[in-house]
Amino acid sequence: MEIRLSPKMSVMDKLKILAEGAKYDVSCSSSGSSRANDGRGIGNTVAAGLCHSFAADGRCVSLLKILFTNECIYDCKYCINRSSNDVPRVSFTPDEVCDLTMEFYRRNYIEGLFLSSGILYSPNDTMELLCETLHKLRTVHRFQGYIHVKAIPGADPALIQRAGYLADRMSVNLEMATADGLKAMAPNKHRRNILKPMRLIQNGIAENRNELVLYKHAPRFCEAGQSTQMVVGALPESDYQIMSVAENLYNKFSLKRVYYSAFVNVNGDQDLPAPAQGAPLLREHRLYQADWLLRFYYFRVEELLTADRPNFNMAIDPKADWAVRHLDLFPVEINRADYQLLLRIPGVGVKSARRIVAARRFGNLTFEDLKRIGVVLKRALYFITCGGKMMYPTKMEEGYIVRNLTYQNQMGRGEKLPFMTDGTVYRQMSLFDMGSMRGFR
Amino acid sequence: MEEKYLVCEDSLEGIFTGIYDAYALREGHEHIHIQIGEETNYRLFADYRYISPDFVKTDKVAGTLKKRLGENVYYDICRAAASYNKEEKGDAIYRTVVDGITGGSGRRVMENLRNPYVARTFELARYTANEAHYEIEFLRFEELEQGILYAVIGPKNSVIPFVMPHFADRLSIENFIIHDEKHGLFGVHAAKKEWYLVSEPEGFTDKRLKRSKGEEQYRALFTIFHKTTGIMERENKRLQRQMCPIRYQEYMMEFDQK
Repeated sequence: MEIRLSPKMSVMDKLKILAEGAKYDVSCSSSGSSRANDGRGIGNTVAAGLCHSFAADGRCVSLLKILFTNECIYDCKYCINRSSNDVPRVSFTPDEVCDLTMEFYRRNYIEGLFLSSGILYSPNDTMELLCETLHKLRTVHRFQGYIHVKAIPGADPALIQRAGYLADRMSVNLEMATADGLKAMAPNKHRRNILKPMRLIQNGIAENRNELVLYKHAPRFCEAGQSTQMVVGALPESDYQIMSVAENLYNKFSLKRVYYSAFVNVNGDQDLPAPAQGAPLLREHRLYQADWLLRFYYFRVEELLTADRPNFNMAIDPKADWAVRHLDLFPVEINRADYQLLLRIPGVGVKSARRIVAARRFGNLTFEDLKRIGVVLKRALYFITCGGKMMYPTKMEEGYIVRNLTYQNQMGRGEKLPFMTDGTVYRQMSLFDMGSMRGFR
Repeated sequence: MEEKYLVCEDSLEGIFTGIYDAYALREGHEHIHIQIGEETNYRLFADYRYISPDFVKTDKVAGTLKKRLGENVYYDICRAAASYNKEEKGDAIYRTVVDGITGGSGRRVMENLRNPYVARTFELARYTANEAHYEIEFLRFEELEQGILYAVIGPKNSVIPFVMPHFADRLSIENFIIHDEKHGLFGVHAAKKEWYLVSEPEGFTDKRLKRSKGEEQYRALFTIFHKTTGIMERENKRLQRQMCPIRYQEYMMEFDQK
């Protein structure tokens, strides 16, 4: 099919416009998929994912994140490519995308391709173009690196399935935590249409897993699972609502990741907030912290937030906040406590907890040992004992501990926020996902 | 008893030969130390012995370590041996081996972080592993005239042996060379062959290497992409530096510093 959408433009100019259009999508991870090279093309994938560069906002650049086209028939309020915006419209050709991906990948600039798109003509037409591009990349160019592709809501299930066999990860963005919110922000989108492809991908992955048990060389379907993203701070949803949705997505849709995106009013839309202090980055940071607590620390949302306390404490992180409200469980004896309880101590992370469990087989641990293991003692000291003794005499009192933790913050010695006033970490933390020692330790 | 210092070459062979000789002395381990490179500050009443690397002894030690402590511990020890930290790595590795083999920690020795020498070996190995990981992420190939991919790196630890396997798999059908200019070492991979190490010849310079025709364009394209993909409203150079330290940025063309 011959596609002529835009006046002839250099690849450089197209790249500028179509990378600009894709950058508000948060997901950039290249993790979850582990595949060796077969000796017939270039590429492999690494389970922990790799970040090849970092942009000026401190977010990682792992994939060549681009739109196939920024033409769009929809008019979503938050989106820079909405149909009512007067911006130059361009499209790549499948060959251009393949060439960029291959040449960038060879030079170790990127870990693979992230292909999203505006809706051109119809969801089906768009999805077909994406599939065609990926097919070319996988078969003609024999590319074996990572591919993340968007499932276009409303596209034919057969097309989505086809994309799933070509990609490592797929995603459909939920955009807003509530169905009403979505209706207000994106009049052409419906919650139902977003959840449908999500379920489709979930079932595809589950079926594929069964096939793989029977046939080792069956083609892989979305090996790295699926992810989604929610905009935070455009509408007055509470953290409790957002986290509950996230928990549901993890449990009921088996998502690998949920991303949160602090709202940036790119269109200067009058109906939407434009906070003076910029995007709500601290709030976004707290949501990510809580997300980690759900996925790696065995927390449930009800433990962190309730309908009466629907928002996170901005002064201290969610885990410390939980701990000071449950002082009856502390102090915890490091040499005795089980793994799950160790994980609940502020200042002890997944790695420290694992190292503690392994090291205490050799004998009792002291505070000195904990320091070597990597426990953040200035936070943990209020919550632990070693051999029955606390590090310093401290009061087990909520107000006292909170004051101390936040006092350290004010002195710049407490919680290390990844920004001066506001901002957040974007390095993929997939190292926890797997035991592989390929990545950071 | 008199302290004995075994002075070894700064290499895996040097350290392993030292460990072999330390065991061969049969005097226990308390008073024996392994030191890397020449001593500049001699101690009184200490016995200094110079050990030259021996490949037979190295192989024996490597075999014993793999058998008794397992492959994972063995590779951790190799990583620690590749560390820049000459002052500490000799003794740290020696005493880790003693803890594992003589002390009975066996395959779990790297978990015994209560032992300060094991903890040190663990840290050194982690530093090398992390730096190798950074180089795997951040090194940049340039395409030369003949289609060969060429990258220059400047790591603190000698990481090429830990970086090459990754690229040998990923770019199996490419010819590529990684040059560690700090340690004077090349990792060389010919398409569909095994990779190998070459040390830098005297007076080597890469000034004469010519880039391919398309090279400049792809560098420019990626530089533009890198600039565009950042969100201005969230600019955070400090975070960028934290995630991608300046000493790596110096070798990355999108940062335009070298």
